[in-house]
Amino acid sequence: MNGNALELKKLSRSFGTLDVLRELSLEIKSGEFVAVVGPSGCGKTTLLNLLSGYDQPSSGVITREGQVRMVYQQDGLFPWLTVAENIALGLRQIKNEMERTRQINEMVRLIRLEGFERHYPHQLSGGMRQRVELARALAGEADILLLDEPFSALDYLTRLRMRQELARILHERPLTVALVTHDIEEAAQLADRVIVLSERPAQVRSEFWIEVPRPRDLTHPKVVNAIHRVLAEMGIEKDSEFTLSKTT
Amino acid sequence: MNQSQTAKSIFLPLAVVAAMIALWVVVYASGAFHESAFPSPLAVLRGFGEEMRNGRLINDLITSLFRVSCGFGLAVLLGIPMGLWVGLKLGARLAFLPIINFFRNLSPLAWMPFAILWFGVGDAPAIFLIFLAAIFPVILATMAAVANIPTVYFRVAQDYGLVGLEQLTQVTVPAIMPQLITTLRVTAGLSWLVVVAAEMIAGRDGLGFAVMDSRNGLRTDLLVVEMIVIGLIGIVIDRLLVQLTRIPSVRWGYER
Amino acid sequence: MLRSPIAKILLGVIVVIALLGLLRYRPWQSSKNAATTNETADARPQLNVGYLPVTCHLTCPVTDFATQTSKDTRFESQRFTDFPTVVESIKSGRLDATFMIAPLAMKLREQGVPVKILYLGHRDGSTVMVREDLPAKDLRDLRGKTFAIPSKYSNQNLVIHKLMEDQGVKAEEIRFVEMPPPDMPGALAAKAIDAYFVGEPHAAKAELDGSGRVLYHAKDIWPHFISCVLVVTEKLIRERPEVVRDLVRGIAESGEWAETHRLEAAKVAAPYFRQDEKVVRYVLTQPPDRVSYRMLTPSDEDMQQIHDMALKSHILEKPIEMKDLIDRSFIPKEIKAAPISVQ
Repeated sequence: MNGNALELKKLSRSFGTLDVLRELSLEIKSGEFVAVVGPSGCGKTTLLNLLSGYDQPSSGVITREGQVRMVYQQDGLFPWLTVAENIALGLRQIKNEMERTRQINEMVRLIRLEGFERHYPHQLSGGMRQRVELARALAGEADILLLDEPFSALDYLTRLRMRQELARILHERPLTVALVTHDIEEAAQLADRVIVLSERPAQVRSEFWIEVPRPRDLTHPKVVNAIHRVLAEMGIEKDSEFTLSKTT
Repeated sequence: MNQSQTAKSIFLPLAVVAAMIALWVVVYASGAFHESAFPSPLAVLRGFGEEMRNGRLINDLITSLFRVSCGFGLAVLLGIPMGLWVGLKLGARLAFLPIINFFRNLSPLAWMPFAILWFGVGDAPAIFLIFLAAIFPVILATMAAVANIPTVYFRVAQDYGLVGLEQLTQVTVPAIMPQLITTLRVTAGLSWLVVVAAEMIAGRDGLGFAVMDSRNGLRTDLLVVEMIVIGLIGIVIDRLLVQLTRIPSVRWGYER
Repeated sequence: MLRSPIAKILLGVIVVIALLGLLRYRPWQSSKNAATTNETADARPQLNVGYLPVTCHLTCPVTDFATQTSKDTRFESQRFTDFPTVVESIKSGRLDATFMIAPLAMKLREQGVPVKILYLGHRDGSTVMVREDLPAKDLRDLRGKTFAIPSKYSNQNLVIHKLMEDQGVKAEEIRFVEMPPPDMPGALAAKAIDAYFVGEPHAAKAELDGSGRVLYHAKDIWPHFISCVLVVTEKLIRERPEVVRDLVRGIAESGEWAETHRLEAAKVAAPYFRQDEKVVRYVLTQPPDRVSYRMLTPSDEDMQQIHDMALKSHILEKPIEMKDLIDRSFIPKEIKAAPISVQ
């Protein structure tokens, strides 16, 4: 394919008479980090369900290049499995026990939870749990990572730390990421491209490129600038101070 | 639990038991009741010795425990799969829920005459009654637990290729384990209540029969012995089932 | 993972049930028994006979005791705690011979259960007790009082109504309650009831406790009072007539023995009843004619009288023929005391 990991062509999804998505088209390049933001109830979750294959579009085509893995808002870990066992779920295709153990250990190291392999999720903090979720999704052959407001259940400081953590992990294991969030800071701090959706039925309202290498500081001028522009686009801040073009 | 709490958890209940025995002695000594209506602790102790020597108490105990474990085991063995089925399939739920509720609300003791007519007297009717008492709560609780499994678990299961039987054994069942264990504790208690009641009528042995027999034999001292044994065994059964909650993979259900 | 602890628990549960089953049935014991008693016990026919632990049914355990060692049919007495269970066992075909209250036997027959009355269990042996502190001399003094009977199907119920009629007491003037016999002495002591009419030893118990006194012995109301009869299914009569003949003879001879060996009879029966030997002995001896185990041939007149009373009080809905109900053909011509020796 043309270097796109995900392609949506004129995607529509309606529930009865309610049009949630109407002819949405979107391309995500391989290795790209795209954040999708939009007003609440605009169909972010529906979009995510379509991307993951959990839901089918009413019309239109989705193409995915590679294996898709999803990280949920919270409590996506199986509470009856230990950290290692949860991560092992992502490695089910590896039949060799030794190899699997090796990879589990590698993932545990990646998320810096050495010593917690045998802990159960309820014995971990919220941030640690989300790191395990991330490790489970990344383990094995995942090519595309879908993140559904992955840090929304965490407190503010943990959220900030988790963003750095995610940037670091992605640096070590690059792959395509689609982040759906209402946290505009998060989107601006992490994504290569931020897509702002319109009100329902959702369509791409505008998109912004942020060409700063990760990890980025939240207070980096370009990040702050991007936050402002997104807010302005959504009609929350006035578009006065910055009069930059929509593509940087 | 720290040390002083452990000490308290042993000492305080013992103190209450001691107080109850003291009250027993006082009421007995006051002479408010005739000896045959209110046996003395000493007479009960003697009766206990008598029942232990002739082996009847142990025999009745084994009989009752055997019936409970058969009836309860059978109910769990059939009830959990049925509960899973009814919980997972909307059609099955719609079809069977009313009839399950109907039977659950029937006291198992109402079945007593039929238990005797169909199974005679002995182990079979008692096991049948315990089975009836236990299976419907097990089905309903399993069903409710399945219905309460967060959808996200099934989505995750699908994401990682856990489908069909693998999903059932590795996601659905573990997800309901904590609730299931609580249900088992409740229904085991219920079974123990029912076995004693069932044996009172459809029995030729067992603790319930012993109660009835002591009553017929005008032996209130033995009656108290049997009541004490029944209560203690009830506690033991529950304590045993509580051990299930110590399995690491179900702890999450009790620590949130 | 979860699998291993669950497997362990399942295994544990199976082991526990198996262990309990072993302890319950003790297969090693029965095989031993079979080996040692093969030539004696297994060779002779055996029959279970139902009874309740009341002195009206005394001849049942005595017959059991007598046939433990004899060469004839072995009669195993099977103790029940209430009549409904006895009836259900008969209906389910698991019990073919039992003692039961006479009107209940008629009710069974009326319902189409093929049973016959072959013999009587006893004569007399029931007592009307009143509270020690009540000055009542007859039923007229019990107007407005609470009176306990074992069951509306009991002969006690029928007889007390007949006596009320004789004394000019109307049915609604006494408040009747049905109560399990074992609870009656206690209820009398607690003054929850004022009087009761029941088979022994549940009347004697109140007398021994000092909470009640005898108002009437059954024989004072109705000489040779009948309450319990030996009931056998037609199937058993048809298929094993010789066993039935042995049974009736065994009961007749046990009765004759009990009549003349009252202290020993109390000693034999008490462990079967699981009752205090003192109480049983008291019933059998205070006075000796409190209960009798002679003249146990059921006559058409006696039964007809019970039948008519039952019909009158709507316990029976339609009349039944005495010739269908009673079968006297198994009663031996000559009754000698069973050869029982008690250490």
